[in-house]
Amino acid sequence: MKVRQAIPVTSELGDISRLAKFDGEVVCEPPNNKLDRFSGTLYWKESKIPLSNQNMLLRGCVLRNTEWCFGLVVFAGPDTKLMQNSGRTKFKRTSIDRLMNTLVLWIFGFLVCMGVILAIGNAIWEHEVGTRFQAYLPWDEAVDSAFFSGFLSFWSYIIILNTVVPISLYVSVEVIRLGHSYFINWDKKMFCAKKRTPAEARTTTLSEELGQVEYVFSDKTGTLTQNIMVFSKCSVSGRSYGDVFDVLGHKAELGERPEPVDFSFNPLADKKFVFWDPSLLEAVKTGDPHAHEFFRLLSLCHTVMSEEKNEGELYYKAQSPDEGALVTAARNFGFVFRSRTPKTITVHEMGTAVTYQLLAILDFNNIRKRMSVIVRNPEGRIRLYCKGADTILLDRLHPSPQELLSTTTDHLNEYAGEGLRTLVLAYKDLDEEYYGGWAQRRLQASLAQDSREDRLASVYEEVESDMVLLGATAIEDKLQQGVPETIALLTLANIKIWVLTGDKQETAVNIGYSCKMLTDDMTEVFIVTGHTVLEVREELRKAREKMLDSPHAVGNGFTCPEKRPSAKLPSVLEAVAGEYALVISGHSLAHALEADMELEFLETACACRAVICCRVTPLQKAQVVELVKKHKKAVTLAIGDGANDVSMIKTAHIGVGISGQEGIQAVLASDYAFSQFKFLQRLLLVHGRWSYLRMCKFLCYFFYKNFAFTMVHFWFGFFCGFSAQTVYDQYFITLYNIVYTSLPVLAMGVFDQDVPEQRSMEYPKLYEPGQLNLLFNKREFFICIAQGIYTSVLTFFIPYGVFAEATRDDGSQLADYQSFAVTVATSLVIVVSVQIGLDTGYWTAINHFFIWGSLAVYFAILFAMHSNGLFDMFPNQFRFVGNAQNTLAQPTVWLTIALTTAVCVMPVVAFRFLKLSLKPGLSDTVRYSQLVRKKQKAQHRCLRRVGRTSSRRSGYAFSHQEGFGELIMSGKNMRLSSLALAGFTTRSSSSWLESLRRKKSDSAGSPSAGPDKPLKG
Amino acid sequence: MTAKMKRTSEESQSRLPDNSALKQQQLPAYRLQLTATGVLSGFFATGVFCLGVGIILILSAKSIKEIEIKYTKICGNCAKLREDATNFDKECTCSIPFYLSETMQGNVYMYYKLYGFYQNLYRYILSRSNSQLLGTDLKDVGTCAPFSKSHDGTPIAPCGAIANSIFNDTIILSYNLNSSISIEVPMLRSGITWWTDKYVKFQNPRSKNLSIAFAGTTKPPSWVKSVYELDKEDPENNGFLNDDFIVWMRAAAFPTFKKLYRRLNRIQYFTEGLPAGNYSFNITYNFPVTRFRGEKSVVLSTLTWSGGSNLFLGLAYTVTGAVTWLASFSMMAIHLMLKDRKMFFIQQ
Repeated sequence: MKVRQAIPVTSELGDISRLAKFDGEVVCEPPNNKLDRFSGTLYWKESKIPLSNQNMLLRGCVLRNTEWCFGLVVFAGPDTKLMQNSGRTKFKRTSIDRLMNTLVLWIFGFLVCMGVILAIGNAIWEHEVGTRFQAYLPWDEAVDSAFFSGFLSFWSYIIILNTVVPISLYVSVEVIRLGHSYFINWDKKMFCAKKRTPAEARTTTLSEELGQVEYVFSDKTGTLTQNIMVFSKCSVSGRSYGDVFDVLGHKAELGERPEPVDFSFNPLADKKFVFWDPSLLEAVKTGDPHAHEFFRLLSLCHTVMSEEKNEGELYYKAQSPDEGALVTAARNFGFVFRSRTPKTITVHEMGTAVTYQLLAILDFNNIRKRMSVIVRNPEGRIRLYCKGADTILLDRLHPSPQELLSTTTDHLNEYAGEGLRTLVLAYKDLDEEYYGGWAQRRLQASLAQDSREDRLASVYEEVESDMVLLGATAIEDKLQQGVPETIALLTLANIKIWVLTGDKQETAVNIGYSCKMLTDDMTEVFIVTGHTVLEVREELRKAREKMLDSPHAVGNGFTCPEKRPSAKLPSVLEAVAGEYALVISGHSLAHALEADMELEFLETACACRAVICCRVTPLQKAQVVELVKKHKKAVTLAIGDGANDVSMIKTAHIGVGISGQEGIQAVLASDYAFSQFKFLQRLLLVHGRWSYLRMCKFLCYFFYKNFAFTMVHFWFGFFCGFSAQTVYDQYFITLYNIVYTSLPVLAMGVFDQDVPEQRSMEYPKLYEPGQLNLLFNKREFFICIAQGIYTSVLTFFIPYGVFAEATRDDGSQLADYQSFAVTVATSLVIVVSVQIGLDTGYWTAINHFFIWGSLAVYFAILFAMHSNGLFDMFPNQFRFVGNAQNTLAQPTVWLTIALTTAVCVMPVVAFRFLKLSLKPGLSDTVRYSQLVRKKQKAQHRCLRRVGRTSSRRSGYAFSHQEGFGELIMSGKNMRLSSLALAGFTTRSSSSWLESLRRKKSDSAGSPSAGPDKPLKG
Repeated sequence: MTAKMKRTSEESQSRLPDNSALKQQQLPAYRLQLTATGVLSGFFATGVFCLGVGIILILSAKSIKEIEIKYTKICGNCAKLREDATNFDKECTCSIPFYLSETMQGNVYMYYKLYGFYQNLYRYILSRSNSQLLGTDLKDVGTCAPFSKSHDGTPIAPCGAIANSIFNDTIILSYNLNSSISIEVPMLRSGITWWTDKYVKFQNPRSKNLSIAFAGTTKPPSWVKSVYELDKEDPENNGFLNDDFIVWMRAAAFPTFKKLYRRLNRIQYFTEGLPAGNYSFNITYNFPVTRFRGEKSVVLSTLTWSGGSNLFLGLAYTVTGAVTWLASFSMMAIHLMLKDRKMFFIQQ
């Protein structure tokens, strides 16, 4: 949540008639993509009013704490900052598509070569033999030389052999991808019951690319996290609360928890708040003064606004969800923040209303990393309550209770290790005189003309010292379900995950820890925050040096060969031992992405196991993706939920939108959409892997079958005077690709599975062949082609050898052209059918139906085409009359077909079997282990939250912003709450949240929500 | 309120994908797996089958008696005469004596065999008119280029390059009972075609008198006789129904081919086949082959269950069987050698 305010002069224009008369003029900067900056001037009534980002509403944002506001549209449409941040929409094609185009071009070249060879052959033949044969077959009138005949024959052969160029390939590929997309849409395991949204494949052209992803770029809020903060643990005067213990006193895991703490004693408690450790409530109930003071602090030291529509129905409106969580926690433990005025705060302490006089709010900012309030309690005692980052606050404490300090530090470390966001709480008693003097100094500072900020800061610093430690809180930034597991699984599958977030560095790092991207086992986490080119370059260089210089033996005695420090950049990646992580902030990234540094950055980042970019703009997200895409030649996937992820989603090879969180812009730009981050593992490891596998098998087979089919004509050319005579009947040529061989391979392309889906989750390494592009590449292509040519040689020359000698069993000629055509065609159909049977790893009923069906249809059509009836009707079209029954009745023909099939298929089987024995792939092994029922239990990945003691990291991460305290003290925002309250009492109370939610989706979906205008007009 | 709840739950049901095996990719299926047992037993079985078939084929090919006599060179003077097309009306005969050392048991078939004659050229194969050969439309010569019409525009019957180039040598086999008496070996000229060819593909025009039926057409340029004069003795073998004509019209797949010419009529001396002894071929040499450097020969052959001599298929089967066996033994060896390693790998 960000504070936006109207400029004072316009905020007084209350009603519409006065607004209509408004005739100011805004002069401002040209449209740009900087979301956090705006400068302009409003000229109105001869006065100049400066406009800053504080006064702007950006397109796509959602109003909170107010129902409506009036605004002036400064930029619209493509000039808005949001649109300026969105990259161009590019037509996405998969790498297999590109490879396919190359291969088709090659095949075309091959076709021309064959044409040339055969044309030369024809010219020679016509010259040597054809001229002598003219008595029986004179040349065409147009043909006057052997050379011209060769030229004609070239074109004839181009036409005959064109079946080698797989034109139907493109259509078939699309059909298969469509099938895969439907499988994604239909997947029950990717259906989110809570949001009632199934996964959706919004493009049908990328499915196999899902099996090749190497880099995942993820947004944080809404994608990894739910943007819900939960008060999860706390440490009160040296005792930690919040761990869940089971009966035996062991730390319990998720799912085996006992009953949550019962807050029924407190009528004002928030029903949705859950806490698992009953001992804290006991402490409060028994009147532990520390606990009371702890929660009193939480209920007083904040900038939350309360709203009470009906008696006892409290709603908190917090600027940051962290704060909301803390105040809600206090509320449930009996310290209910009830209401506030600019000068007072009313709190129900264990049932009794106490009103504190609010003397000062020492506001939060990013340098201070803390906030304090100074209140006077009803007894008149003045006390300062402070909460803030441990790094800052621990230095400002009174040093006396050393023991308490160390235990609290231990607790903080433990919380930080779990990825919780921590805050340290402290208080300090002030005497009246001191406070009087301090208030005076503060007033002076705030009235100072120059360097007001600095002077205020030093005044604040003065009072916030020698404080007494109360304890610490730990807030859990609720992750989406299954995020750490998914990340762990994807990491095991060799997918690198980069988090790109607009959040602050602390928050981002914190999430990195809680979703196990960063761990304390990591050798080092590099943090790059330089503001200038030189600083960034220096920091990156240092990071690389450290990676190279560090001892390579990381714990387990694994040593890498020593490499020279002078080694060039590309070698860094391979050479690094140990786990590193890189955290880089937006302003450093801006330098790192410049042309001269981007490679350095990329090398450094890719050598790290985890990369987190924080405070990045939407365009920078896209630039990072583009960088990896361009230089790593790897398949990238971007996943996000908000409008600020759109450009990244569009840039990446595959864009995934998380639906149902922050509007639908991300979903609209995405290629795949679902509602939970955890579905990503299924999308990639199951659907993607299968898609890739199927597509590769499909392509291999498709090229194979076309070559086997077409090359026969080439060989026949040498025996028919290169006269462009086809081997097969014209109808066979027409139907071969569409009818006889299309469906079995389509069924394989749609349904094939190598290992069951559970296995691909259990063995994430199975994903690797896709990343390395092992299953279909140029080498595999040549193998397929070679196999096709081998098959064509055998299907031609074995019948040739037989027919040269043999006669039919009634003594008449066997070797007539038509019988030969039928024999070759039949053996070809049988061979390719057997081959598809071998290639099909997963024989469903559909596969059976298509394979046997294709064979049956072949014979049915063959006999129909060669039937007497058709011949009687069209004697010149169906020349093969009687051929099928006469030829296929010959045992010799069947023996020929059987031999051809055996000789074509056996080497393939032998080769595959040997490959399986000598060099089994992981999937083969998995299948084999499945077969011998030696299923070992899946290695249960230990993703349990184990407290780490080694952490010396601050868990502080507070998504708070400056300026709210001032607002409260000035009372400016009070009007709104009373106003809102008045509005709500007339409506049914529960509709408020609904209307808010509705508004949210409306404004996010509407094409242009006007920028510029404040909380309240 | 409850109704509303119900509706939402129904709606949620409707958006939930069907739990069908197809949509969840859980179709029951057989997972094809190349197991060692399967592959090796398959290989052994194939090897046995191929070896068996191969040996049987070789044995039966050996049992066939076959004689081939190339007569282009023997009848050199005739060949020379035919090189000049203007000599078409000069008759040339040629006698080739040979000695049959063993009796040819059973049915004996006489073939003519051409070397280097391309019946499989693209334009040659197409150059015929099936509708004319059906006798329905004698004037339909559209597909017969370059032999569709004579110079004066009369349609040719039978038209086309195939018909025009018909093999027109006459071959008569004589058996020399002794040095002075030689008898003509009785031969059948019918029953040498496919049934479908004789009764479906080829029909004479419906008419009592063939010469009238073919009126308005002319004979192919290379023919000496008209089509209705091919066999004046047997009307069932005349016109388009002439067996020699039908056999020739079934174009061969390769430039070297043999076509059935006559069957032995097993009567008199020949009930057991062709007895051993002295024979001679009396050939009326009409068909020129030296122009295209071709050769022709006459073949006498017996048959077995699978047709004529087929040594290639037998050898191919034997070799395949042997190679398959070798391959299966080596595969088994490799498999056994690696088995331990594989188990180790899996247990890891």
